[in-house]
Amino acid sequence: MDVPYQIALWGVRLAFLVVLYVFLIRAFGSLWRALRTEAELAARPALAYLVVQRTHAQGPRAGERLPLRTISSLGRDAGNDVVVNDEAASARHATVTLSDGAWWLEDQGSTNGTLLNGQRIVRRERLRDGDIVEIGRVGLRFEAAA
Amino acid sequence: MVARMRPAFRGTELGLIFWVALLVGLGFLAVIGAGASALQASSLIVPATFVAVAVALHLFLAVRGSRGDQLLLPLALGLTAIGLVMVERLAPPVLLLQQLTWTVVAAGAFVAATLIPRDLTVLARYKYSWALAGIALLASPLLPVIGRELNGARIWIGLGDLLNFQPAEAVKILLVIFFASYLEENRELLASAPARRLGSVVPPLAYLVPIVLMWVLAMGVMVLQKDLGATLIFFGIFLAMIYLATGRATYALTGVVLLLAGGSLAARVFAHVGARIDVWLAPFSDELRFGAGYQLVQGLFALGNGGLLGAGLGNGMPDRIPVVWSDFVFAAFTEEVGFIGAIGLLALYLVLVFRGMSIALRAPTPFLQLLAAGLSFGLAFQTLVIVGGNAKLIPLTGVTLPFLSYGGSSLVTNFVIIALLIRVSDITVRVRGG
Repeated sequence: MDVPYQIALWGVRLAFLVVLYVFLIRAFGSLWRALRTEAELAARPALAYLVVQRTHAQGPRAGERLPLRTISSLGRDAGNDVVVNDEAASARHATVTLSDGAWWLEDQGSTNGTLLNGQRIVRRERLRDGDIVEIGRVGLRFEAAA
Repeated sequence: MVARMRPAFRGTELGLIFWVALLVGLGFLAVIGAGASALQASSLIVPATFVAVAVALHLFLAVRGSRGDQLLLPLALGLTAIGLVMVERLAPPVLLLQQLTWTVVAAGAFVAATLIPRDLTVLARYKYSWALAGIALLASPLLPVIGRELNGARIWIGLGDLLNFQPAEAVKILLVIFFASYLEENRELLASAPARRLGSVVPPLAYLVPIVLMWVLAMGVMVLQKDLGATLIFFGIFLAMIYLATGRATYALTGVVLLLAGGSLAARVFAHVGARIDVWLAPFSDELRFGAGYQLVQGLFALGNGGLLGAGLGNGMPDRIPVVWSDFVFAAFTEEVGFIGAIGLLALYLVLVFRGMSIALRAPTPFLQLLAAGLSFGLAFQTLVIVGGNAKLIPLTGVTLPFLSYGGSSLVTNFVIIALLIRVSDITVRVRGG
């Protein structure tokens, strides 16, 4: 085979590697941007908080402000947005959601129930600033940000 | 349902698919250009068809209005593109057309998996049916008429000469679905610390039932079907998922001990297992170099021959490795594109798995989390097992390099995995917003 053909062939081989890396770098770039957006979202002030009122040795610290998202899960499991470490708490105990401009508390079929201002809730209940949510031995005060 | 159909602009995905198209074009050009025959228009039919399939899948997701991940599909397609280039390079021409056909079938499976109703809970609801279907599929190669034995392993089903399917690949997904829903239900029990007696670190018997059952199943696969690779993958996925669900290292450690015990026993009892271990320990020994160890030895020479920049795509000597297109694609690829290319390839897998794991972390329910994590771990583990096998890091087992190796069952399965991961991220975006 003649020399120009060989040079062209090596050009194609090199271009293959270059394109492989361009593809890789663009994929990495997209990954990086996604991670940064996520970090920025996490840094934004929360819409509302649950402030720990009553707790025990293994539970969350008293006075701690736990940030809430538009949908937050509460429970003993480490995968929850708000982890309530208490023997009486179920793995997925309750959820707090923001919808139709209001905050709502809902029990997720927990074994020992969720208390709102001392009353065990049955279905979805509206949450107002200063309400007390109780899960097991842990008491949390709801605090809307705005 | 109507709102879901509103089309979505998936710019990142489309942009990346452009580079995939360029990659497959250049790859075919390099391989065909290095060959003896002149470049013809007909030889570009395969890459052209592939690009058409890629764009069609992108448009399908866009028209359906998927708000799921935009990186997974291009990454899977990029790896498939390299796979097609390598099949063109390494395998007899008839296999290239078969692989292209399988790519189209895989795209169809991708579309079908995307259409699974809404929140995928249908998968969790019928978990025992999925598990039974999985075991039935797994056992199907043992049946008389449709079962096939190829290269010493009875792991194929097929009708006629074509269309051999390896059910163990599809079983992988069914098992992950079953584990995810089983563990979601039972992780309370499994994770709860049993009363610690003095010096007792092993959980009581009841907690060990699932792990022992799974071990029996895995060993059954090894003994009856002689499929070491599937044994390792199934058991690895199971251990990873039980650890993810419970956070208890005891399970993982118990499992590894059980696997090692089973493995070393099998190596003594079964000749085909023992042979793999011998080859792994000393492939260059006088008895093995030109015998059972020949494939691995040639593969190692290919890896070393690649050097930093490789021999150039189409310029290596992959013919020296027997059945190179199925078990040794990684070694052949590394010989021709060198260390640089091999690192680039592994980095693609890294991004893919990282992305899958981030989807798992963000998923709204434990079932979806475990599903995404199990599927991603399966891809990562399988890549490790075959690349490690090529590099003589661990004994060689015949599993496919995801998306790259010649083989239809594997390609179809992996595209379904990608579809499921995209679905999980789509659900996450819809539930969490943003």
